[in-house]
Amino acid sequence: MSASDRRVREVFIELSDTLVDDFDIIEFLDRLAARCSELLDVSACGILLADHHGALNLVAASTEQARLVELAQLQNHEGPCLDAYATGHPVQHSDLSAPGQPWPRFSAAAVEAGYLSVQALPMRLRDSVLGAVNLLSEAAGRPLTDDTIALGQALADAATIGIVHQRAQVRQEIVTEQLQSALNSRILIEQAKGFLTHSLGVGVDEAFGALRAYARTNNRRLTDVANDVVEGRLTLPTRSDAPPA
Amino acid sequence: MGAGLSMTRDGGVLEPLLATDPVVGELDELQFSLGEGPSCDAMALGSPVLGSDLAGVAAGRRWPAFASAATERGVRGLFVFPVGAGAAKLGVLSVYRRQAGPLRPAQATDGLVFADAVFVLSLDHRHGISADLDEVIDTAFTARRAEVHQAAGLVAAQQSISVTNALARLRAHAYSSGLPLHRIAAAVMAGSLRLDSDHDGQMKEED
Repeated sequence: MSASDRRVREVFIELSDTLVDDFDIIEFLDRLAARCSELLDVSACGILLADHHGALNLVAASTEQARLVELAQLQNHEGPCLDAYATGHPVQHSDLSAPGQPWPRFSAAAVEAGYLSVQALPMRLRDSVLGAVNLLSEAAGRPLTDDTIALGQALADAATIGIVHQRAQVRQEIVTEQLQSALNSRILIEQAKGFLTHSLGVGVDEAFGALRAYARTNNRRLTDVANDVVEGRLTLPTRSDAPPA
Repeated sequence: MGAGLSMTRDGGVLEPLLATDPVVGELDELQFSLGEGPSCDAMALGSPVLGSDLAGVAAGRRWPAFASAATERGVRGLFVFPVGAGAAKLGVLSVYRRQAGPLRPAQATDGLVFADAVFVLSLDHRHGISADLDEVIDTAFTARRAEVHQAAGLVAAQQSISVTNALARLRAHAYSSGLPLHRIAAAVMAGSLRLDSDHDGQMKEED
């Protein structure tokens, strides 16, 4: 077994561990996004879920960069994730700076943010599509190999299982409940991030870093910590070692 | 068979506000006095709770007293949609049915959209705004965007108010200025707009 095969195994074991613990959907998806970007060797990974208005919402990202969010917002009008979500099939583009782009506005914004190639994988559950996983690379002209896409799809399926929180015979009602719960958890995290930008005097990325560091150090669910923060029940320490935005 | 709307004042106890049928009102009330039922769970979880068979084993285990009371009154289905977003929890919309069985996906979506519309209407009510329905639905849609919630959190911290009141203030400003909510939110996050606590809906341009 090669080193990377071993790493893939470790990641899937880590992800299945998360499923049996006291489960925090945002923490799980965030970890998944980070592992996707590592294993698939891409620069950034975002996980987008469709809400009941049919809009794609970014629920987790390997890096909390504002530009990722902006790209995600744009994808409600055009882009690979929207196509992957609409068709249920993987979509990829290996040179976003080449002429004749299928999504001119998305491509221009992605290139400006430093991303030159993109892959989007649908998050499928039987015959429905819940959202998409977005993979962005700073390098152009490197289409993912079939093996890598298969691995990416396995990770996207892991995300779907994480959201629905069970594997087999899922009733539609449970899917609706869990999907809405994930979307609502993300809203709570965004509120806490905004709150902390003011109370700690930091940027949104660092605010999320502080939230996550506190949750991990104190072994608490990210959403519970976020709730305590916005309700004014918890004051977080400023982190001097926060990673740069 | 009918629907009910229960709301809370600043995150406290739920109070039944509207019911289209006396049994709906009675069962909404009963959940809050028992402290158990799909409405209580939806409020606590912030996600919908879709009880498709109150006479079933799962419902009996989850809400023993309420499930038997509902079944005795000939009610088998209760589908509850939270009115709120994140920490801003305003109440729940409850939809009752006499037959058992799940909602169709389109019906569940309708429930979620109605609950979002009630959310925006209640926020607007705090500032005496009466927007037309198209605008309310449009706002309900954009009100789910990340920057709107970041801005609500920022305003809550800055003015020492609840996230609910911060959202209402953002919405009031968007309404009075005629600018879209997400643009107001982006300006708040960028620090180029500060909502003044003394003059609701007034704006101070900084630098």
